[in-house]
Amino acid sequence: MSHFAIETDHLSKFYGVVRAVHDVNLRVKPGEIYGFLGLNGAGKTTTIRALLGMIHASEGNVKVLGQTLGPGGRGPWAQVGHLVESPSAYPELSVRENLDIARRLHEIGNWRVVDDVIERLGLASYADRKAGTLSSGNFQRLGLARALLHSPSLLILDEPTNALDPAGIVEIRELLISLAHEHGTTIFMSSHILSEVDKLANRIGIIHHGMLIEELDAARLEEIRAHRLVIDARDIARAREALSGFDMTNLEEGRLAIKDKRAVESPETIAEILVNAGSPPTHLAIEQEDLEEYFLRLTKQS
Amino acid sequence: MNNFFSALWAETLKARRSKMPFFTTLGFTFVPLIGGLMMIILKDPEAAKSMGLISAKAQLMAGVADWPTFFGILAQAVAVGGGILFAIITIWVFGREFSDHTVKEILALPTSREAIVAAKFILIVGWALVLSFYIFGLGLVIGHLVVIPGWSAELLRSAFMDMLGTAMLTIILLPFVALFAGLGRGYLAALGWTVFTMVLSQVAAITGWGDWFPWSIPALYSGVVGPRSEQLGNHSYVIATLACTIGLIATFYWWRVADQTR
Repeated sequence: MSHFAIETDHLSKFYGVVRAVHDVNLRVKPGEIYGFLGLNGAGKTTTIRALLGMIHASEGNVKVLGQTLGPGGRGPWAQVGHLVESPSAYPELSVRENLDIARRLHEIGNWRVVDDVIERLGLASYADRKAGTLSSGNFQRLGLARALLHSPSLLILDEPTNALDPAGIVEIRELLISLAHEHGTTIFMSSHILSEVDKLANRIGIIHHGMLIEELDAARLEEIRAHRLVIDARDIARAREALSGFDMTNLEEGRLAIKDKRAVESPETIAEILVNAGSPPTHLAIEQEDLEEYFLRLTKQS
Repeated sequence: MNNFFSALWAETLKARRSKMPFFTTLGFTFVPLIGGLMMIILKDPEAAKSMGLISAKAQLMAGVADWPTFFGILAQAVAVGGGILFAIITIWVFGREFSDHTVKEILALPTSREAIVAAKFILIVGWALVLSFYIFGLGLVIGHLVVIPGWSAELLRSAFMDMLGTAMLTIILLPFVALFAGLGRGYLAALGWTVFTMVLSQVAAITGWGDWFPWSIPALYSGVVGPRSEQLGNHSYVIATLACTIGLIATFYWWRVADQTR
């Protein structure tokens, strides 16, 4: 019996000579929120489709909730909710009818679950509207509603906050956090909004050119993210000249950033250099690299 | 079995909410109407000529104004018109999942793919039969309104069986259309297949090989080129059944193993 909600062993997928995913070994524990990151074409959606039995692995195998995916895409789908790429719905059916189809195909007898999820996703005023007439944000909510309809123990979500407005993003983020914390739902999500993943995920995997190049938990990520000293000075040109011995980056609004360990560990030295150069600092702060910068640094390296 | 009925319910709801039932019914409504018009012309060519209707063409196409001829027109319409219209229904039922990108919502479910595909086929069979009964029923009403001679209860029974046989032979060739809707992941490949088989069926019928070519068989059965006993043999029914079986197996297999990247 597997101890993981998702487990892939040497998962590879080839389309002819194109290697979409190569030797991916994923381990997602129950109750985790796993952020799956990658550039466009890195292999995120291919991996997600393989996790859902929509495509067959060329090599390796996939276990979901302890069950190896079988022929014909058989798997523990009664316990899995998903949203793959952009959401889709039958445009001529209402929101309620689309969800009722999902309810029936999930073999849920209780029709109230449809009303509950409509309420939960803020779709009550659109319940009887045809799906084809919904805004892209509400269409996304409908996709999420379908994924959540049957209270799954595992959610596999590809870009869940796509097309949502800022308030919607916060709302969905809180919903996902509450599902994970209060109901123990495992969430495997990809997103290109890295700040979102940063706020949500307690474990992160980075896929690049089809390979899982990094997998780490939030605490470890915190530790390894680079720190930098951000400087603004009265005369920035003079400050740049005074600090020419350090490896510097120019930031927006004319500010400077130094990643050099000496500067980060003793900012007072930098302040002293600037004062002596006749350009005292007006801003001096140690900042931590955000997930986006870390991600870009890592993908550039590989 | 439960999940098959859930899938059938879902497919029926999708069909009911679409405009397809309206358009397919409208398409088939013209057949008995045109058949009725032909009967009017054939009954009284001179009067029809004075009304501006072309009698010679009607005579060439239909023959004489009687119930056997009228029923023949209806059966041929089911074979030829149904070949197109039933294929369009099949293309829509299967192909829309790809064009609407909803296919990914029906793959990872407790309801198996096999149940969903079976439900789609049952819906198509039901839909096509209802349309065939409709054309026959409307034909009866129009035939009586036009007052066509040669009516008998025995003729009604045999005409109904002819129409039903023609409809069934047309329907059993649809699995290949469904297969191409999947292979092409949408409407185009299946439409291409339908046109291709229609053209080939004409060629096969003209060259005398129609009884060996599955897609010529429904039209030959309907009597489009003469009595069916002269046109078809037992081998024809075996071939049509074989085409159905291969199409069904291939379609179910494709849904089971094909990578779904839409």
